[in-house]
Amino acid sequence: METNPALPPPNDLSATWAFLESGINHIMNRLEEGLSYKRYMDLYTGIYNYCTSSRMNPGFTSEPLAGPGSNLNNNRGANLMGSDLYQNLQRYLERHLHEIRGNSAQYMDENLLRYYTRNWEKYTTASSYVHHVFRYLNRHWVKREIDEGRKTVYDVYTLTLVSWRDHMFMHVERNVMTAVLKLIERQRNGESVETSLVKSVVESFVALGLDDADSTKSTLDVYKEHFQKPFVESSEVYYKAESEKFVTENSVTEYMKKAETRLAEEENRVQMYLHQSTHKPLITTCENVLVKNHTEIMWDEFQNLLNADKMEDLHRMYSLLSRIPEGLDPLRTRFENHVRIAGLNAIEKVADQGSENMEPKTYVDALLEVHKKYNDMVTTAFRGEAGFVASLDKACREFVNRNKVCKSSTSKSPELLARFCDSLLRKSSKNPEEGDLEDVLNNIMTVFKYVEDKDVFQKFYSKMLAKRLVNGTSASEDAESSMISKLKEACGFEYTSKLQRMFTDMGLSKDLNDQFKERSSVESNEQVDFTVLVLGTASWPLQPSTTNFTIPEEVERTFQRFKMFYQNKHSGRKLNWLFHLSKGELKANYCKASKTGYTFQVSTYQMGILLQYNKDTSYTFEDLKTSTDLSSDVLTGSLSTLVKAKVLNITKGAAVGEPSSRYDLNMDFKSKKVRIQLNVPVKSEQKVEVEETHKTVEEDRKLLMQAAIVRIMKTRKTLKHVVLVQEVIAQLSNRFKPKIPDIKKCIDVLLEKEYIERVEGQKDMFSYVA
Amino acid sequence: MVTEVKRVKLTSSEGTEFQVDRNVAERSVLLKNMLDDVGESDCAIPLPNVTGPILTKVIEYCTHHKDDPPVSHEDEFKKGSEDIDDWDAEFCKVDQGTLFELILSANYLDIKPLLDLTCKTVANMIKGKSPDEIRRTFNIENDFSPAEEEQVKFENDWCEER
Repeated sequence: METNPALPPPNDLSATWAFLESGINHIMNRLEEGLSYKRYMDLYTGIYNYCTSSRMNPGFTSEPLAGPGSNLNNNRGANLMGSDLYQNLQRYLERHLHEIRGNSAQYMDENLLRYYTRNWEKYTTASSYVHHVFRYLNRHWVKREIDEGRKTVYDVYTLTLVSWRDHMFMHVERNVMTAVLKLIERQRNGESVETSLVKSVVESFVALGLDDADSTKSTLDVYKEHFQKPFVESSEVYYKAESEKFVTENSVTEYMKKAETRLAEEENRVQMYLHQSTHKPLITTCENVLVKNHTEIMWDEFQNLLNADKMEDLHRMYSLLSRIPEGLDPLRTRFENHVRIAGLNAIEKVADQGSENMEPKTYVDALLEVHKKYNDMVTTAFRGEAGFVASLDKACREFVNRNKVCKSSTSKSPELLARFCDSLLRKSSKNPEEGDLEDVLNNIMTVFKYVEDKDVFQKFYSKMLAKRLVNGTSASEDAESSMISKLKEACGFEYTSKLQRMFTDMGLSKDLNDQFKERSSVESNEQVDFTVLVLGTASWPLQPSTTNFTIPEEVERTFQRFKMFYQNKHSGRKLNWLFHLSKGELKANYCKASKTGYTFQVSTYQMGILLQYNKDTSYTFEDLKTSTDLSSDVLTGSLSTLVKAKVLNITKGAAVGEPSSRYDLNMDFKSKKVRIQLNVPVKSEQKVEVEETHKTVEEDRKLLMQAAIVRIMKTRKTLKHVVLVQEVIAQLSNRFKPKIPDIKKCIDVLLEKEYIERVEGQKDMFSYVA
Repeated sequence: MVTEVKRVKLTSSEGTEFQVDRNVAERSVLLKNMLDDVGESDCAIPLPNVTGPILTKVIEYCTHHKDDPPVSHEDEFKKGSEDIDDWDAEFCKVDQGTLFELILSANYLDIKPLLDLTCKTVANMIKGKSPDEIRRTFNIENDFSPAEEEQVKFENDWCEER
């Protein structure tokens, strides 16, 4: 039981201190027994009475002015009481801590930690009581001392901490830290340990970080110096030894697992029982020892993991190496190289099956397969990291534009890609479902992104689109416009403006035909079913016909009427008739084999030939040439399909096209089908067309480069040769990759045409001529 | 919802017991710290330095101000001695002896707003008065010799209004 001695007389120091000491002793040592309100109030009152005992004040009277009132109103003359109590308390704490320290000598390791933390907790709890009991001293004497700049006086709680630091901590911290480090090492070795001990020690070290300049502030100096430093050092030693031993006994992949686990453990350790500020120094040190010291073996292992597609291990390696600066650089380079080779190999494989007549789908699929595989790898194993994305793009650009198939020229890739588009968008039994089609078109765009010669793609694409539209073989208008909007998104409005014009022309033509038909039904009883497409020359990549042609009289009337109709509507426009792209259907009623007759689907030229046979049943080559006005080549080509299909029989001469050969109408023509397609394009024509397309690309490029040079020079006025070339390349890069000698040639052309001139006296400097 | 307000017993120097709500008692930092440290109990808290009549006044003040927000350090400096609200002014209309006892108790119990209020009230009593008037107000005997008085007057000449 606590005792309650009577309050001492106010101005008796030794009686007051004796009274206080027994109370403080009780709080420090036996707080668990409790503290009564009375004892608490008596201690506070004892201090109050002592501090307000005004023996220094000579004006002491029985008037109420005495006591603190005089201190408050007349501070200058007052001498605040308290330094004796403060010093006594300080000495008491020293004695008390000396005792605690003395008892600690018998403990080691975990027991020492237990002793230290138990006493720390007890001491700080008691100190907070003492601090409150001494509040009157804090408010007046201590405050005054601090205001007056006394550095060695603290509020009572801070005094208890300073005392602990000086009389306890400084003497035992070495042993405590040794014990802490042992404990952590045991935990790292897999033992389960009482981590709350470390946590308490950390809290104590942090609390002792007192700012000597300002006791209300705290610093982490004590923790950093006495805990963090030795702890991080010992961690480094531990992991250096462990990792070096581990790599000699295990595979790299096993080591990466180990390092990953260890790093996670250390992160966790900080969370569990260390101060947050230790996170960075600890993890940086661990990263150095566990990752940086072993980068070489990881880099070396990377290729093996790539070869074996070890996604998990790749991801682990990525995560580890991303922790250290420049850790990923060699991986990115190796990855790029690997993807490039994979792409080249994939194309090599499919190209072996015949590189000349490469099937567009096979080619594009091969490109896509490689891209998809490594794109997946980038997103999963490398978490879509920008550097790896760039490496993937670089590699893809390489193998899309420079592989075995486009050995001769980089424009082979865009051509095949455009052909693949055509095969998808053309009516065919193999057309994919609409939803799938969208996916395939998106895939095409993936490849398209890497194509350097985007102008070549545009050329082929518009050619084939024109064909689909003219021949009415487009599978779906939605799919067509979806593809065009994708291209527009990738390359801008200008890139697709002609393609869009083509669709507009188709719509306008439909209206025009409707109007013409309406007019015809009013004016005359039209016999010929006639449809015409009026297409703008500027937007359509269509070649004019190479031969003359006399329109058969059966169609002549309609033909003339349409011309009149159109001229009335749009006077001043010139119509060029593209008969080589036109077609028709003829009803044949002469065949003995069929009562209902056959329908021949023919080209306009074939129509011109066959309609001659309304007058006679046999003509020579020369006869037909005169009546149709076709060139020999075209006539030969058109005749040969008719002969091959046995619509006509060659009755004289060895081969179709010989001047003296003769062709009779085959009255015995027989076919299982009612409609017979005779309008078959000639293989050789196709090949010529491809070559021509590539040639026009070259021509267009020259114009594009010249236009770019003029544009640049017009804004820059004068420019160095090198800079000019760079800017031209930059401006055109989304269309194609200009070759420097070609740019030089274009500059020469423009010099000659006096759009630009050399600046005199300055080497390689051009200026714009207005 | 009803929250139960804990009652705290206080005993004045002559042994009179008072019961107040805990939040009223906690206006005194001394009592607040002690209640936080020791915890609640049915025992009375002895206040050996406060008499019953004064404790009554103190409780009146603390009850009126029990829900005041804590005053920040900056606000404290802004407030001049004029800035006393009506209730507080009325509260301070007591005889001098009581006023000084209130100052002592506010200081002892560590109730800063009450200490400030009572000290301001005293300051206002001094303001604008000559030394002789002040002496009369507080019943102070002039213990200066005439020579000393001249000296003091001379030293403080700068603050005289002209």
